[in-house]
Amino acid sequence: MSTYSSHRFTAQFDVNNQEFSLCGVLRPHSVSELADDLALLRNGVETVKGVCYINLKRVTHMNNTAFRALAHVLIDATRSRPDIKLTVVASSVVAWASRLFRHLNDLSPNITVEIYDSAFYPGQTFVENQSFIPILRTQTKMTWRHEREILPRHGLREGMHIADICCGIGDFAMLLRKDFKPARIVALDHSIPSLAYARTVAENFDVQDIEYTYGDASQMLFESNQFDFVTCRHSLQIFDRPDVLLRELYRICKPGGRVYITNEKNSHCLGEPKAESIQWTYNEVAKLFAHFDMDVEMGPKGRRMLLDAGFRNVQMESFMVTNLDDDPQDFADIITAWRNVYADEMAVRRGDSPEFIDRFKQGFEDHIFAALHPRGYAGWPIWASSGQKPL
Amino acid sequence: MNTTETPADAAFEPMLELEMKMAAFTADWLNCDQCSTYVAGMVSLDRHDPIRHANVLSSALNELFEMSFHARERDGAFVCRFYRRDETERIELTFPCSPEKRRFYDAVVTGLKSDEALANYLDVITSGAAPAEHAILLGLAINYDADITLFYRDTGMLTFVVDLPLERLLN
Repeated sequence: MSTYSSHRFTAQFDVNNQEFSLCGVLRPHSVSELADDLALLRNGVETVKGVCYINLKRVTHMNNTAFRALAHVLIDATRSRPDIKLTVVASSVVAWASRLFRHLNDLSPNITVEIYDSAFYPGQTFVENQSFIPILRTQTKMTWRHEREILPRHGLREGMHIADICCGIGDFAMLLRKDFKPARIVALDHSIPSLAYARTVAENFDVQDIEYTYGDASQMLFESNQFDFVTCRHSLQIFDRPDVLLRELYRICKPGGRVYITNEKNSHCLGEPKAESIQWTYNEVAKLFAHFDMDVEMGPKGRRMLLDAGFRNVQMESFMVTNLDDDPQDFADIITAWRNVYADEMAVRRGDSPEFIDRFKQGFEDHIFAALHPRGYAGWPIWASSGQKPL
Repeated sequence: MNTTETPADAAFEPMLELEMKMAAFTADWLNCDQCSTYVAGMVSLDRHDPIRHANVLSSALNELFEMSFHARERDGAFVCRFYRRDETERIELTFPCSPEKRRFYDAVVTGLKSDEALANYLDVITSGAAPAEHAILLGLAINYDADITLFYRDTGMLTFVVDLPLERLLN
């Protein structure tokens, strides 16, 4: 890493993955400032077999000087190593990147350019599906009545600068805005349909002060140390690298500010009657998500994760969303949506047998039965944790 | 293209003006990065996606600031004005410029309209000898769909007028 790069960008070469990666802002005055980093790339290219990956998806700015210097090294590499392919990976979030880096392919057929706009995390295709929108909406409606009381205990006050990361359809940001009157609120998600929905709702309610943005939560375009309160709800659990995401939440939080996360422990969903069937299905839900590298058992791990990420004064509590909170049909609607996605899409994608899927679905049906039964009880437990970024 | 005054265009709404002494501006390379990031954030706040708009505007603006920095002039002022019309951002960048450099910019800007602009850009990327300003202007035209025109003043000041259809580019 060069002197210049020490606070502006980082360069690494991962021998095992044959991947050179740049991250951050590359705006050098002269090529000499990149000399060490380009040497790292040159030397790395000499060692690879097959494909060498040039990972630029976390570059937020690159000036003409840096781009030309990088292009020279890559063109030289195609000449010195005609036996290998170079694959440049850029982010769809950073609008200039795809337009700039595509020229590398114009310069050499041995350089291909991939735009990284999917597979941020394994479950992305499930949760970015528009069919997920009704689930998100009902879930937020049911959790808000708990979280509205919980959030002040985790440090949320009026007049703060707030970022809601992985905001989904933006309904939580709307509720925060209404009840906690932030000085600024930004809501980020990687689902274009969800953001379009969020913007439409905001427009219909003449809400103009929520900044919705399309972004990659693991490499956000925000400057560091910007927000007093950063929320990330039900999302760490569906990233395969939650530590990377947590580092970003830490980065954008102001020193002294707090990051608030919520996650589930699906195997603890419960209901009466038909408790055994319900229990079996939710144990299987946890296994199903684990198959796709998602950890929906993460809830109780929140405290440890925040401490490991460097937060202090970590607070943690849990709450149970139940059929008794309000209209039991709302609870039943959530379970119906889970059944549709988990059994009809995810289990099918995993290749489960029809017999398994029937039994799997039955647990959801029994949970719905418990929720709607006049003497029944159905619960969905959630863990809320927050930590303070040290001053 | 080359006149003594920039045309007043009532359709473009003025948004912000930044003025610095060239000596102060060229004293630190990081001024390009810091000014472009700060200003892009300010003028992007009411755009559809303010964060991404600021990112792409900062990238284009930084290139222009770096180009002014490369002019190596230390006398006079550096003025950057921002305007907006619908989905287009207009940047007017005025800085002192020698007649020789002016002729160089004139030739480059004329070439931006050529059918060969992309081929020229690819040549410039790979040529170690091509001046940074040449690559910057071609890059703005090719990668940001920028419409670039030049205006001269008798005072030795040169103005670049750069129209950037960033909202379209982002969405």
